[in-house]
Amino acid sequence: MNRRTFIARAGAALAGTTLAPAFSRAQSQPDFRLDIAPLKLEIAPGKLIHTVAYNGRVPGPLIRWPEGKPIVIDVVNRSSIPEIVHWHGQNIPSEMDGAAEEGSPMIPPGGRFRYTFTPRPAGFRWYHTHAFAGHDLKRGTYTGQFGCFYIEPKGEAGAYDQEIFLTLHDWNAYLASGGDSSMDAAYDYSTINDRMLGYADPVRVLDGQRVLIHFLNASASMIHWLALAGHELTVVAMDGNPVPTPTPTPAIRLGSAERVDVVITMDHPGIWILGETREEMRKAGIGIVIEYANQHGRPRWVEPPETLWDYHRFAESQATIRQPDQVIPLRFESKFHGQGAVATWTINGKSFPRTDDIVLKEGQRYRLRMMNRSGDDHPLHLHRHSFELTSVNARAMRGINKDVVVVPANGMVEADFTANNPGATLFHCHNQTHMDFGFMSLFQYTSIAKA
Amino acid sequence: MLNPMFIVCTQNVGSMIRILVWLVLCMFVGWLGVAPAQDNYEIQVYASETMTPKALLVELHSNFTVEGSTTTQFGMLPTQHQEHETIELTQGINDWSEVGLYIFTAEKSGIGIQWVGNHIRPRIRVPVRWHWPVGVSLSSEFGYARPAFSNPTWSWQIMPIVDQTIGRWYWSVNGTMVWDIHVVPPPTNFSPEQKQTYYRDVAPRGVTFGPAATLTYAPSKYYNVGVEYYSYYGEWGNFVSLHNQQQQFFPVVNLFVSPKWEINFGAGWGATAGTDHLIVKCIIGRSFDWSHHRAGSSKSPQ
Repeated sequence: MNRRTFIARAGAALAGTTLAPAFSRAQSQPDFRLDIAPLKLEIAPGKLIHTVAYNGRVPGPLIRWPEGKPIVIDVVNRSSIPEIVHWHGQNIPSEMDGAAEEGSPMIPPGGRFRYTFTPRPAGFRWYHTHAFAGHDLKRGTYTGQFGCFYIEPKGEAGAYDQEIFLTLHDWNAYLASGGDSSMDAAYDYSTINDRMLGYADPVRVLDGQRVLIHFLNASASMIHWLALAGHELTVVAMDGNPVPTPTPTPAIRLGSAERVDVVITMDHPGIWILGETREEMRKAGIGIVIEYANQHGRPRWVEPPETLWDYHRFAESQATIRQPDQVIPLRFESKFHGQGAVATWTINGKSFPRTDDIVLKEGQRYRLRMMNRSGDDHPLHLHRHSFELTSVNARAMRGINKDVVVVPANGMVEADFTANNPGATLFHCHNQTHMDFGFMSLFQYTSIAKA
Repeated sequence: MLNPMFIVCTQNVGSMIRILVWLVLCMFVGWLGVAPAQDNYEIQVYASETMTPKALLVELHSNFTVEGSTTTQFGMLPTQHQEHETIELTQGINDWSEVGLYIFTAEKSGIGIQWVGNHIRPRIRVPVRWHWPVGVSLSSEFGYARPAFSNPTWSWQIMPIVDQTIGRWYWSVNGTMVWDIHVVPPPTNFSPEQKQTYYRDVAPRGVTFGPAATLTYAPSKYYNVGVEYYSYYGEWGNFVSLHNQQQQFFPVVNLFVSPKWEINFGAGWGATAGTDHLIVKCIIGRSFDWSHHRAGSSKSPQ
C-alpha cells in the first residue's frame, strides 16, 4: 500500500459516511464557496497552462476572516478526480483539516463537502489541495489549487499603508535529475500570482508608504528567494506568526508552503522589479513590477548582496529553552531506485503508510528532533499545530513559531510543540513528490491525558 | 505463509543470476589476457549533459597500454607500455553549451615525457526544457597531435551524443566521425597499390567512423558498473576489414563519492588485431564553481 491506495481507501470508507451528514447540514448559505474545476490559465501572452483551480482563478479567492468566528465553506469538485482542501496552518479538528490520512473525507468528482470550523490562530494561513499526485505532475499541489486565508487578529495594529498578498508558484512540472541522485520535479514556468514577470499589472505604491506584503510560496517543491531592487524587506512574521525581532534583510527565502510577511518602506522612487534573486528564476517568471506614482521608464533590477537565510536573525536574542517532556527523534533518508527514478523517502527507516504512528499525550510538550540525512533541503510541515524553533544545526533559538520549517541538507532542526489539539495529525515534507513517496508520518493522541 | 518450494526456487534463481553475473565478469577478465594499435588519450563515452555555467571541470585521463603495438609503424611509436596522461578542462558557458580543452601527453621508458598535442571541443546540447525523451548533444573537436603519436595529425571530430537514464540503467551512444584533415604521407617507395591500402587501412583522408557506447547499472547512488565500447570502422563507405578494425570493450566502475568529484576506472580488451589488446584507464575529475556562491544562498542555483 502506498499513499495513493491509502487515500483511495480512506476516501472510499468516508464517502458514504462523513459526506452524507455534510450534505444534510446544507441548510444555510456558506460563507464561502470554492469550485474546483479545470482552468486554462494564460500566464503570459500565448503561454497557456492547463491546470485545475478554485473558482476559475489563481490564486483562489482571498478568505479574510475574523479570528474566533466560525466559518462555513462549501467545496464543489467539478474536476475528474477526488479532491480535498487542506486549511494549512490552522488548529482545527482532524476531520475538517483536509488531509485524508487524518480522516478528512475526499470529495469525489461531482461531489461537494461543507467544511465548518473556527479559524485560528490569527495570521496569514492558506489553503490548498492535499491530493496525491505521484508520477502525475498535473495533480496535487502542481495545480493552481491554492489560495490565501488571512485570519484577522482581534487587535491588529495595522502599522502599514497598503497590504498585498503575493503567491509564488511553478508550472508545467516534469521529472529531471534532482538532488540526492534521484529524479525530482523541475518546471518550465513560474509566476507571482497568475502572471510571469513583465505581464502582470504593476503594484502601484506611493513614496513614503509602508507596504505590508504577505508572501506565500505555493510551489509544489521549489525553494524561492525574493528581493525588491533598491529596498530592504523587514520580516515581521513567518508562517503568519509575528517574529520576536523584526529585522531588515536584502532578500527572503521561502521553502515550499512557507509564508513570510514583510514591511517595506517605499523610500526609493522608481520602477523596480520585485523578483527571484536568481536570474534563471526571474527568466522563468518569478517577479512583479513595483511602480512608484509619477515614475516612468523600464523596470530595473539591482542585484542584492548574497544572502544566507538564517531563522536566528528573527528570533529572541536570549535563547533559554525549557526542556520538553519528550524528544521525538525523526531521521529523514531516501531510498535510491536509480538516477532515472524517483526516490522513496523514509522517516526513521519507514515509508508512509508503513510508518509507526507517533503517540502523543494531550498537554505534553514535545521536541521534534528532525535529522536530515539527505542532500536535499526539506520543508517539513506539522498539521493542526504550530511549533517553536528551538535549534537549527545545533544553534539554540526561541520565539519563532511556525508550521513549516526548512530542514537543511545533512542538517538538523529541533522544534517544540504542545500537544493541544487532539486528533490524528499529519507530519510530512511539503515537497509533493517526497510526501507522495513516503515522506510522511501520522501523530496520534492517546486517550490518557497528562496527569 | 510462503510455499517453501517457492523460497527454494527463488533462492536458486538468485544464485543463478549471481553465477551468471560472475561468469560474464570472468569472461571479461579472461579476455583481458588475450593480446595491436590505437592512440588512446581520452577514453571516455560522453554523456549529453553539459557543464553548468560558471563551473569548470578539471579531469585527468590516465591510460596505460599493457599490451599494444611493439614496433614503430609509419613513424608512430609503439604503444606498448606507453602511459598517456591527458588533462581535460571543460567550462560551462550556459545551460546548453560548454567548451573543452585537451592537453595530451605520453610517457614511456626511453622517450620520457612528451607533449602530444592539443584539441579544443565546443559542445551544445538540447536544453532540458525541450522535454526530449533522450538527452542529445553535439560535440565538435578540433586539434593537432604530433605524428609520432597520432595519424592523422590535424583532425576535426563531429560527435552526436544520445543518452538516457531509465531507473538504475544508463546508456549513451557517441556517433564519432572524424575528418582526417592532415595525415602522415606514406613512404615514398610505396607502390600505388600499397599507397591505396595505406590510405584505406592506416590513414584515410576522408571522414572516418568509430562509434562508442556505454551501458551501466547503478546498484547504489554512490557507484555504477557497466561496459564501455569503443571502435574504429575506417572511412565512411570504405570500412576496413574486421581484422583491421578497432573493437574494444571496457568493464568500468564509476564512483559518485561527491557531486564535485567524478571517478572512472576500467580495463579494456581489444578484440581485433587492429586494437591495443589491453589498456587500463582511470579518469579523475573535480569540478570548480567560479560563481563563488555559498551553497543554499540567495545566488546559489540549488
